Amino acid sequence: MIAGYLYDLMLLLFSMGVVSVFFTSSNAKLTNYVAHSLALLGSTLAILCAIFVFMQGKVDIVLPVMLPFGPIGSSIDFLSAFFLLIIGVVGAATSIYAYGYSQEYYHRRLPLMAGLYNAFLLSMVLVFTVSHVVAFIIAWEVMSTVSFFLVNHEYEKKVNTRAAYIYIVMTHLGTIFITIAFLLLAVGANSMDFSQLKGSLVSENLRNVIFVCTLIGFGTKAGMVPLHIWLPRAHPAAPSHVSALMSGVMLKTAIYGMCRFFLDFLGIGPVWWGTLVLVLGIITAAIGVLYAFIEHDIKRLLAYSSVENIGIILLGIGAGMVFMSKQQPVLAGLAFSAALYHVFNHALFKSLSFMGAGAVLQATHTKDVDQLGGLIKKMPYTAVFFLVGSVAIAALPPLNGFISEWLTFQVLLFLPQVLVGITGKVFSALLIALLGLTGALAAACFATAFGITFLAKPRSEQANEAVEAPPTMLVGMGMLAGLCIVLGLWPIGMLSILSMTLQNIAGIDIQGLVGHDWYALAPATGHSDGGISMVAIILLLLSGCAVAMLLYSIFGKEKVAVGETWTCGIVPNSHMEYTATGFSKSIRTVFKSIVHSYNETVVNANGNPYHGQKLFYHVRVRYLFVSALYIPINKTIIKVAHFMKKIQAGSVQVYVGYIMVVTVVILIWSTGW
Amino acid sequence: MNILLNVIQALGVVLLAPLVAGMIKTAKARMQNRRGPKLFQVYFDLIKLLHKDSVVSPTVSWIFNLAPYIYFAGAVAAAALVPVSASRSSGVGDIFTLIYLLALGRFFLVLASLDAGSAFGGMGGAREMFIAVLVEPALLLSMMTVAFKAQSTNLGLMASMVENSPLSLAYVFAAVAFFIVLLAETGRIPVDNPDTHLELTMIHEGMTLEYSARKLALIFWASAVKQLVMILLFVLLFLPGNVFGSEMFSGIVLKVLLVAMVIAIAETSTNKLRLFKVPDFLAVSCLLSLLALVAQ
Repeated sequence: MIAGYLYDLMLLLFSMGVVSVFFTSSNAKLTNYVAHSLALLGSTLAILCAIFVFMQGKVDIVLPVMLPFGPIGSSIDFLSAFFLLIIGVVGAATSIYAYGYSQEYYHRRLPLMAGLYNAFLLSMVLVFTVSHVVAFIIAWEVMSTVSFFLVNHEYEKKVNTRAAYIYIVMTHLGTIFITIAFLLLAVGANSMDFSQLKGSLVSENLRNVIFVCTLIGFGTKAGMVPLHIWLPRAHPAAPSHVSALMSGVMLKTAIYGMCRFFLDFLGIGPVWWGTLVLVLGIITAAIGVLYAFIEHDIKRLLAYSSVENIGIILLGIGAGMVFMSKQQPVLAGLAFSAALYHVFNHALFKSLSFMGAGAVLQATHTKDVDQLGGLIKKMPYTAVFFLVGSVAIAALPPLNGFISEWLTFQVLLFLPQVLVGITGKVFSALLIALLGLTGALAAACFATAFGITFLAKPRSEQANEAVEAPPTMLVGMGMLAGLCIVLGLWPIGMLSILSMTLQNIAGIDIQGLVGHDWYALAPATGHSDGGISMVAIILLLLSGCAVAMLLYSIFGKEKVAVGETWTCGIVPNSHMEYTATGFSKSIRTVFKSIVHSYNETVVNANGNPYHGQKLFYHVRVRYLFVSALYIPINKTIIKVAHFMKKIQAGSVQVYVGYIMVVTVVILIWSTGW
Repeated sequence: MNILLNVIQALGVVLLAPLVAGMIKTAKARMQNRRGPKLFQVYFDLIKLLHKDSVVSPTVSWIFNLAPYIYFAGAVAAAALVPVSASRSSGVGDIFTLIYLLALGRFFLVLASLDAGSAFGGMGGAREMFIAVLVEPALLLSMMTVAFKAQSTNLGLMASMVENSPLSLAYVFAAVAFFIVLLAETGRIPVDNPDTHLELTMIHEGMTLEYSARKLALIFWASAVKQLVMILLFVLLFLPGNVFGSEMFSGIVLKVLLVAMVIAIAETSTNKLRLFKVPDFLAVSCLLSLLALVAQ
């Protein structure tokens, strides 16, 4: 029962964090330390609570809240505990980071931001743990609304307000579908309690409807293509530690919802469910990373990369569903552990990258990569942490991103075992090839993000004057960077948590994944020697380095002369350097049907057509889904609205006329013609 | 898991890699009616570079100094995983690991190319990443033709499966598909020209333009190792055993020599492609791999 007390205490701490800002608002420094310390404590308790649940089993708590729908309870089972662990780890890091980062906001509504930050954490914890339909939807709505306010925190910038507006519209679209899915299930089960909701209680057709609603509803929140358009707008607009939470944790609430539905409520479904998720997953991954690569706003780049990672997670989930429908519990276990491993990894490295981007933003006041450069010398620690995040996102060994990508590759490799025939083989080969393309693009994308931001000479005055971030921010980043390394070198640790998370779920058998030596990682599908060992790979890399060092020093010490970079005899300056825009040019050219970019040259001619005073050159991108899907929908809505305007003329006489007509019709109808 | 065998194997590949590079150079020269450099010239070049003192730009950071080591270590680690009989089924790493180890080296080399702040470096890095993005799906598809059949990504299992299966049409498709990937991945004509230092055409050489002396030697050597790794993968995973009889060590050597000759022929008989024609070239590889999958 310790977990229950910890849980109550955690909710209390987060609530106190919300309330505290009212009492400390006169002193910005006090607000900062009190509110974020409470958030830090709450997050630590979330970790402890999750650990106790893993050790002692499921916990049920009745919340002291009265609603007209019966008692509202929280139930922390292993799946909830896993997500609680994520919010605890990321929340602790962002809270420490927030001490330093909030200094930017001492004169910009800090009490509001700090209060909302606590409310955001609180609502996400509730989303992960409540076990009642109404409570879930309320928590979900609070989470969306609070994050809407956080996105709109810097409302002075018009682009932020617009982003927040698009976000709130899209997220409510999602909520509609989620509500429909829940209500259909609740009607079938005649109960609002999670433990009573079962897909077997509704008809087969209704089950399919619920599945589609879930996919659309949670897919919107997760940023699944083509419902992703809010994500790259909203995430960059929020303050950076909130961006880190939004990308690292809030997107995972959608994954949690999907897991709840697909693993728990709906039960094992037909094969097309999983196939659909697979197809959507690979499209999301490929489109997301392609847009990330051509982006030069560093926070937007990270947001698009989140879209990509959601795609990779969906690949694991989709494959798991296919394996479940084909009665392959071992493979399903492998698939879901790949997905959840990536969930955890993405929470770590994406939050880390957003915090790094926030540190850069704070030091230089620009998010445009093409204005940066040379920061590795001004901000050495931030650079190291951002590099760790980049290598992890690019799925390169020996960090954690590689492990989950490797597991996902293994999962896709086993797909032809259940999808027999040539179609299955070609399908999974294409999935693997596209995942490889995604991986390579992610590497290219983060080579650019790191290389252009941190290397070479500063491209602007702001970049030249940057200073290292305050120590608290570095500690926040360092924690997550350390975890990225640990989860890369010691995958069994994470896999044993996952095996506990998934152990009680019907149709999944995960025991085989962890029954190996501590250093090994094997897919556990009969081929005992199909595995890899990260420790061995590290040893190989180290011995490679040793050989390189031996070769380097075999002919004695070298003398190093300093000579300027070769620029064909001109004095080098930062305008000669490659920019992120230039770096992605060839990819834009090849994928022009998807990322249609066009150049816009604006000459400020000043009346003289031949000698412009100033020349502006922009590269703009036409987004496929915006121009092909959203703009037509938008136009239709406006057209319908114009039609409605004719009826809603606004003149009182007309309305009185309507009322009269309706009254007469009702009178005639009530007399029975 | 006997990692020591892997390390010894890697050292062998490291020592022999410049020889294979030299053989390709000599063969190419003979085909073009030149005498060409000596067979061991690549070793002499490397030793010469290892003796020299370096010139380093004041713009660079520690990334520039670190990158050659990581590039070299990535290539060595990849060489340790190649399934030459000694290290088979050792549970150290599989085909994905090998591919991603090479990608790790490339990632850091691209970072280093941006570090000196020259336009040539950025151009080389951008193009290298461009080609890598296109190569990756083609490489994985060709590998899947073998991995699906072996039902594993373990390199040892894949190699022994190939060894025991007869030559079929599927292998011909797969082999051609992987050969295209090999040319692109190792920076050979028609994708990249390893001999040029002309700004407009260079890709790999563009990235290393700011390097000199010992670090340059490490990069050259690592590139040679990478090339031999790719050739060995081709030999072990795409040429079924009965083409040249038994899978003895001499058989592997013979096949490596043969592939080196074919590379020399390919380099002599084709032109370098325009950069934006490379996607078509690699699309051919992807299609052949899919055909191989269907034909299995």
